Amino acid sequence: MTALSAVALGASVLAIVSGDLRWLRVAQREHYLPGAAVRFAWRWWVSTPLDAALGLAALACAGLSAFVPVIAIGAAAVASFAPLGLGIRGRTSGLAWTRRMSLVALLTALLQGAAIALSAVVGGLSGAVVAGAVSALLGPLFIDAALAALRPLEDVLAQRYVQQAERLLGRVRPLVVGITGSYGKTTTKNYIAYLLGGDRNVVASPRSFNNRAGLTRTVNEQLTPGTDVLIAEMGAYGPGEIAALCSWLQPEVVVITSIGPAHLERFGTLERTLEAKAEITSGARVVVLNVDDTRLAGLAKRLEGTKKVVRASGSDATADVAVLAHFEGLELKISGRASGTALVEPGSPTPIRTNAACAAAVALELGIASDVVARRLATLPSVPNRLQPYRADGGYLVLDDTFNANPAGARHALEVLGSEAPGGRRVVVTPGMVELGKSQSAENAAFAEAARRVATDVVVVGRTNRAALVKGCGAAGTGPALELVRRREEAVAWVREHLGPGDAVLFENDLPDHFP
Amino acid sequence: MIGNARRRFDDRGAFGTRRMGEVREGGLPARVAVTYGGPSPEHDVSILTGLQAVHALERAPGVGSVRSLYWSKSGDWYEVPAATEAAAFVEGVPSNAVRLRFISGPGGGFVRPGSGLRAREDRLELDAVLNCCHGGPGEDGSLQGALDLTGLPYTGPTAVGAALGMDKLAFAALVIYAGLPALARVPLSEDSDEPGFPPPYILKPRFGGSSIGIEVVADFETARARLEANSHLRRGAVLEPYHEEMFDLQLAARSWPELQLSGIERPIRTRGGGEILGYEDKYVGAEGMTSAPRELPAKIDPALEDRIRALAREIASIVDLRGVARFDFLSDGEDVFINEVNTIPGSLSHYLWIDPGLSFTTLLVEMLAEATARPAAVFSSAGSDGSVLRIAGSIASKLG
Repeated sequence: MTALSAVALGASVLAIVSGDLRWLRVAQREHYLPGAAVRFAWRWWVSTPLDAALGLAALACAGLSAFVPVIAIGAAAVASFAPLGLGIRGRTSGLAWTRRMSLVALLTALLQGAAIALSAVVGGLSGAVVAGAVSALLGPLFIDAALAALRPLEDVLAQRYVQQAERLLGRVRPLVVGITGSYGKTTTKNYIAYLLGGDRNVVASPRSFNNRAGLTRTVNEQLTPGTDVLIAEMGAYGPGEIAALCSWLQPEVVVITSIGPAHLERFGTLERTLEAKAEITSGARVVVLNVDDTRLAGLAKRLEGTKKVVRASGSDATADVAVLAHFEGLELKISGRASGTALVEPGSPTPIRTNAACAAAVALELGIASDVVARRLATLPSVPNRLQPYRADGGYLVLDDTFNANPAGARHALEVLGSEAPGGRRVVVTPGMVELGKSQSAENAAFAEAARRVATDVVVVGRTNRAALVKGCGAAGTGPALELVRRREEAVAWVREHLGPGDAVLFENDLPDHFP
Repeated sequence: MIGNARRRFDDRGAFGTRRMGEVREGGLPARVAVTYGGPSPEHDVSILTGLQAVHALERAPGVGSVRSLYWSKSGDWYEVPAATEAAAFVEGVPSNAVRLRFISGPGGGFVRPGSGLRAREDRLELDAVLNCCHGGPGEDGSLQGALDLTGLPYTGPTAVGAALGMDKLAFAALVIYAGLPALARVPLSEDSDEPGFPPPYILKPRFGGSSIGIEVVADFETARARLEANSHLRRGAVLEPYHEEMFDLQLAARSWPELQLSGIERPIRTRGGGEILGYEDKYVGAEGMTSAPRELPAKIDPALEDRIRALAREIASIVDLRGVARFDFLSDGEDVFINEVNTIPGSLSHYLWIDPGLSFTTLLVEMLAEATARPAAVFSSAGSDGSVLRIAGSIASKLG
């Protein structure tokens, strides 16, 4: 009896370790935000009937183990291997043992150990066995608790780096350009760095370094005396974050690129998103806004009089700075006056006009001559994985839009696909878009409906948005042929097998593998 | 000075004993550190060169240990594991890097600060440094001077040679004074007069080796306007005549064990128009210089080729070549002009040696042998024997 109980407890401890490793990776990928582990756990457990059944069975085993300890082994087994498909290593990235991760893992283990110890005190060995099984199954809950508890500590530690960055900024005194927006931040930042780089010493925050940790690191590792301009891309997942970044970065020239449903589940509404992004304007001298976005056009009106507002547009020739489509390239217009054209070489991807307009506005504001800006528009660096076309070995055309998660960008990608492969097969491979809050299902269904009109086949990857995408594609026989796969590798294999010269495939968005 | 230098290459027997310092016979430096990175526009390319060098040296017979020393953009030194790949540097300092201090002085060098149980700091025991820094203080004499003060042997140019290589105006002046063919190059400042040659001009920053800030300007007014607007020209600018029909020709030269010249390359432009070799043109491609598009060997007249080689020998003399340098020429197919010298070229230009070929490892090993056999600088206080001090009297009386 006692030996079996000990074995059951041992199995639970092993399950705790292997389970925690998987959920800790999810927490790391979700930026250590408390609540992420439980949210994703819920997604995974309900993603298929099999997982849901296993989960319920495991909970039942855990409960029954109070009476028959050895049953806990069943719960432990489920906690170790289910939900099916969530691996320890992962395809996109493994668990990185940083100081922060080690601390979270340690605290989680301590909490789970404490739960078991407490149950042992109250209920003896059988109590410990139940607690072990339950701790293994509810690992994500303990992880979120640890994340919440450690958050204040992380803030204190981060402050040290913020102070160091502040001192450096005070010594070097670069002109700080701040960029935010739901989409297009990175592209716009790269464009600005390119337009300025020939004339100024520029430091731009690297890709995905758009939070406090990344920006302090950028400043502390790269800001040297002699730097003229610091371009800081600022991301925000919730209200107050941008304001916090601006308190020490103090950007003088700011850009808001767009307001969209990105991270809507954390902002709640698009109006809250707008207000959170608009935090960047509070101390700024110049505000560049993409007025093709109606909400930002409204913000421009609001800020008039209190700040210098520069309206940038990719289509409206009357805007303060416009980058318009022009025969063989682009045209720069400043306050309606033609200020130069840029001939884009055939074969090079065309720059995204709204982002180019925002970037041109910043460059002009910083004193770069308009003819220089216009000339450089011709050679703006293309953004990798953003609708880059290439021909695969099998002869078919591949449109790689895997880094795009923007509904408007996705529509544009469908248009591009629609213009290719006349007479051939046109395939859309997508896991759908995420973090759109309540709109997620509707947005994905809408995307699938738009895909119907151009695609002959749609390959749905993963389970996260499967239902919405399938619904949008319509009943079998009426719309494109549907292929459902679990992982991206399977989709790629399917494409290689079924497509040939004369066909085209669009890879729209790519979800990291901590999504079901 | 030029005469003496020429003799050095003709009379190797006298070479060792004529110059100052010790010559060590045989023996490769066993404990080597490769330095790369640095606060420079060519930071990233330097990482590629450095990692390639670490990889090659680990397989080199005679070299005992190889340390990989990364110089960050902010000027801090780190040691990283030798097997580190380029991808680890994409986001900045690799996460497993160990911070070092650099102490410039006798007994100095790269020092690991104490940590944890080991309280004392720990100097890395090195026999030589293989310098793969491109541009910035790693190639303009700053790092060279700092290493000179520690006494650590290092490869590549001396402090003086490096500074000369980074100063377009001084190099051009030296070339013209030596009677070698070069295009006119004049300084441009606020109070400059119009140059003696007609536009269009090439406007370049005076110091620095990268293509940042280089552009073609249509006339003198535009040049003056750019001088005001472009901060890259703040420290000095030069003007040259722009000849659209001219193309680049490059070859490399190394000095040890004897002067050897490589094949001649004609780099291919990736963009139409504009014959200026821009930064993206030079270094596009994942492997740095080794995969930039090129015509190697260049398809030129044999007479032109001979002329270039003869000029290269002359240049090697006047810059006091040490290590491997790349010489850049401009030509229209018939005439040839000396353009620039690059004293620590990307990938150390090893790919330019085609016939006979030269393995990267051999190149590095011979550069290291040169580093110890030909010390970069040796300081001496000979002549200060106290006599001036003894008869000085009181300082106060001197100041009157």
